[in-house]
Amino acid sequence: MSGGPDDLARKVLQPGQCAGCGLCLDLCPYLQVVEEKVVMIHPCGLKEGDCYRVCPRTPTDWEDMDRSVFGAARADHVLGHHREILFARATAPEIAAAGQYGGVVSALIAFALGRGEVRGAVLTAGAPGEMPRPALAENPEEALACAGSKYSAAPSLRALHEAARRGLEPVAVVGRPCQVLAVRKLQRARGLEAHHLAGRKVAWVTGLFCFWALDPAFYAFLRAKTGDARILRVDFSPDSLLVHTDRGLLSEPVDKVRGFVRPACRECFDPTSEFADVAVGSTEYDEAWNTLVVRSERGEALLRAAREAGVIEVKPYPPERLPLLRTAVLNKKLRTLEAQAARGESSHLQLSEGYRRALTGRDQP
Amino acid sequence: MSILGVRLDEPGRSVLLTGNEAVARGALEAGIGYASSYPGSPSAEVLGVLAELAGERGFYAEWSVNEKVALEGAAAASFAGLRAICVMKADGLNVALDTLTALSESGTKAGLVVVVSDDPGGHSSVKEEDSRYLGKVAHLVILEPADPQEARDMTVAAFGLSEQLRAPVMLRCVTRVCHAGGNVVLGALPPGPAGRPHFGRQERYITFVAFHGLQEQRLAQARAIGENWPFNAYLGPPEPEILVITAGPGFLYAREAVEVLGLGDRVGILKLGMSWPLPEKFLLRHLKSASKVLFVEEVEPFHEENVGYLVACHLEEVHPLAIYGKKSRHVAGPQGPGLGEIDVDAVIRALAALAGVPHETRSSDYGREARQLVKKMPDRELGFCAGCPHRASFWALKTAIALDGREAVVLGDIGCYTLGLTRSGYFLMQTVHAMGSGVGIADGLGKLGRFGFDQPVIALVGDSTFYHAAVPALINARYNRSRFLLVVLDNETTAMTGHQPHPGMGVTALGEKVPALSVEEVAGALGVPVTVHDPYDVRGTVEVVYRLLRQDGVRVLVLRRTCALVSARERKPRVYVDPERCVGDACGCHRFCSRVFGCPASIWDAARGRAKVDEAVCNGCGVCATLCPQGAIVVEEVG
Ligand SMILES: Cc1cc2nc3c(=O)[nH]c(=O)nc-3n(C[C@H](O)[C@H](O)[C@H](O)COP(=O)(O)OP(=O)(O)OC[C@H]3O[C@@H](n4cnc5c(N)ncnc54)[C@H](O)[C@@H]3O)c2cc1C
Ligand code: SF4
Repeated sequence: MSGGPDDLARKVLQPGQCAGCGLCLDLCPYLQVVEEKVVMIHPCGLKEGDCYRVCPRTPTDWEDMDRSVFGAARADHVLGHHREILFARATAPEIAAAGQYGGVVSALIAFALGRGEVRGAVLTAGAPGEMPRPALAENPEEALACAGSKYSAAPSLRALHEAARRGLEPVAVVGRPCQVLAVRKLQRARGLEAHHLAGRKVAWVTGLFCFWALDPAFYAFLRAKTGDARILRVDFSPDSLLVHTDRGLLSEPVDKVRGFVRPACRECFDPTSEFADVAVGSTEYDEAWNTLVVRSERGEALLRAAREAGVIEVKPYPPERLPLLRTAVLNKKLRTLEAQAARGESSHLQLSEGYRRALTGRDQP
Repeated sequence: MSILGVRLDEPGRSVLLTGNEAVARGALEAGIGYASSYPGSPSAEVLGVLAELAGERGFYAEWSVNEKVALEGAAAASFAGLRAICVMKADGLNVALDTLTALSESGTKAGLVVVVSDDPGGHSSVKEEDSRYLGKVAHLVILEPADPQEARDMTVAAFGLSEQLRAPVMLRCVTRVCHAGGNVVLGALPPGPAGRPHFGRQERYITFVAFHGLQEQRLAQARAIGENWPFNAYLGPPEPEILVITAGPGFLYAREAVEVLGLGDRVGILKLGMSWPLPEKFLLRHLKSASKVLFVEEVEPFHEENVGYLVACHLEEVHPLAIYGKKSRHVAGPQGPGLGEIDVDAVIRALAALAGVPHETRSSDYGREARQLVKKMPDRELGFCAGCPHRASFWALKTAIALDGREAVVLGDIGCYTLGLTRSGYFLMQTVHAMGSGVGIADGLGKLGRFGFDQPVIALVGDSTFYHAAVPALINARYNRSRFLLVVLDNETTAMTGHQPHPGMGVTALGEKVPALSVEEVAGALGVPVTVHDPYDVRGTVEVVYRLLRQDGVRVLVLRRTCALVSARERKPRVYVDPERCVGDACGCHRFCSRVFGCPASIWDAARGRAKVDEAVCNGCGVCATLCPQGAIVVEEVG
């Protein structure tokens, strides 16, 4: 399935389907971003483009992706490939404290950077409550400085191109599910003589759970709510926005921010980073821990090394909570299929009939 | 010969001078005390030369902020008894016209010569104005030299005439006089401006409608002088069948055409050195004998109309007489009658038709041959020079406008940056009129919000143009609460006309160092917020423009970076493409540097399939290196 910048503009940018991953941004001088909005400033005139090939929102054969990343079809149509689902947290208190939840992501990255397994990490920086920006960390301290979730679509993958330009390799990538998919598409793209190098330099990909990202207008909303107070941390519980400030905790019903949800996120099929080596999310009840989905062999090896080094501790995922996670993910997928059908545009999802039936027909594979 | 010839104190010696240099020489010989100009092609070199000689010859020279100010300064010198010359291009005459029409009514004292250069064909102008019409409106005597010798001679004569009439005299030169080179026999140089300037308490120079009659009297006096003036001349048989009436370089074309066609015994040439007022008796004398009259002049049918009127008034004397020229479509350059320049061929065609002699000005194969040649000719578009800061500015503007996402309106005017309307400026510029007019138009658009107009408005102006004509519009905008972004493309010189100084530069025409008056000082004093940025930092510029676009009110952004042609004289890093890093057509940029960004130094090495920097053309700005998505362009400081 090939296409060019015109197709990208028509199918992705104009209908608001850009996820803001940032991967297309430095492929050429024509795609640029402002306030997390990607804009094509000039038609380059090519019929086929790398931008179209790597964009996570251009047509993607989901099951083919499974085969190319994991070498096999998936057994679990809802949660994707997984070797283990665990609760985990960073053992170092400063990492656990800085992390959004258990600090697993930061701990893994700091560990890999510290051991020299990777020379750089593609991350997302920014003070709580401010517009985030792509970051390329080269040591554990820089990685730790990026801890904490920023709830908008930072174009973090720009930093991957920067790493390639600077000859920094190998690198680790931390990203939202759309970003994970983008990196995977880049890694397997053929004929990308110029840019697949950037893909090849990726040692492993840590995916975040993500059910939506917000428009940057959210930050203005936050400012208005918090006034002069300094924002220390922003978080979401299942039903509330929680803003920790130096003047105390502010809470708003989550419905108040739904209007800020990025339109593209309403048509996202992957809330758990299905193509990552490991995927990390909240536990939905215990802030000190993360949900950790180990998906690939590489992810498994990384976790093993991190556990042996005593950087990460794990405990079993409570079996009674698994159906909750599964239902949440399934519902997200079903909502997306509906939304895409309603919009009537050809979907970026290329799913076999079998997959569709597996999802819609049964809720337990 | 150039400046050496202009300053040479050897009367009678013949030297090679351009028309512009010859005018300057004439002014020296006339003993001027004051010379002023705003730079404009094709006459920019007149003051350029005079400024260089001002010191040694003891007169004052100035690059003024605009032509009106230049003229007023020259008038002051005249009132105080110093001969003065004021030089401008046709467009500048429009700016100075208000003062000029008044001066001819108020009268002047010491000789005041206004040199106006017309640019038929618009080689370096946006319009091809025939300034003779405005000279006539101003009730001025208009002299028209045909070559450099006449340019010198008429300049000298013009000062005398101006003093005799006590009014300014206009010297109209066209490009082919200004830029042509020819032998000029020099006259004597006076020791310097005579006398100490003085403005007597009893002297009055008042513009008042009652003095209109005086203007007409002066013209009548000039007409009488013209009847026997040596520059109004007749050449040919005593009773020609065809009379050619011509002025300026048209005279040279006509003379050559008559010679080529061998019509010396049938055709006479009447050359008008004074195009206004017309020497009526002299004209009628020669019109009487002819049965056909052909007008050869650039651009408009000025003589044709005015002599035509004279003929109408004296029909009985001149009958029968048929009139040919632009209206009859006999005299036409390649673009048609009354458009662009004419040449010898145009005159040959017209004369051959009138005389009924067969003549082919070109071989019958000419068209085919020309087309064959043209096929081989590379298409060369007008564009910014290599390293031009404007290219970086326009790319940043284009980017910021796209990021902003609203339909921004981009208004411009006259300067190098006018090229912003071409591919070189990514077709951004939407209006081009006169000096500073983009600001006035922005001011107007910026007040249409009350009708629901919500597009962002950007006015672009050069630094020299800012001082020339943008300031009143800016005052108007700030006071009347308009909303737009004024971007001053400040390359720290008047680049288009040859790097003349302006008030932002801290140096005068005489080379004196003075405190500069920066754009930000001027705009800041008006209470308009000013941001200054370096356009070579394209990313930063995009951010600044984007941010400013979202602000309200009138705001000014100065994009300051010295013209690359100036800076490359001092520092020129070597810029080259690393063939290992450039991935050629495998890159998604689709040849950004050579094809899109469009620096003339960025070329495509077809054999290697890689981008390349033509180091002979490159001015070393390094902007391409900051924009190449592969980081494949290397900037290396040298020496
Ligand atoms: C927009 C968004 C929505 C999310 N929604 C959910 C959800 O609905 N349910 C759920 O269980 N978990 C969600 N998460 C994940 C969760 O917030 C934590 O990031 C995750 O559990 C990892 O926790 P940690 O303590 O290991 O993180 P940390 O150790 O603090 O590390 C967080 C990492 O995330 C990266 N990061 C931060 N913001 C972004 C961003 N905007 N884009 C890409 N990378 C970023 C940083 O570079 C950092 O490395 C979301 C995250 C984001 C960014
Ligand atoms: S450095 Fe680049 S932009 Fe500058 S002159 Fe050279 S080729 Fe042109």
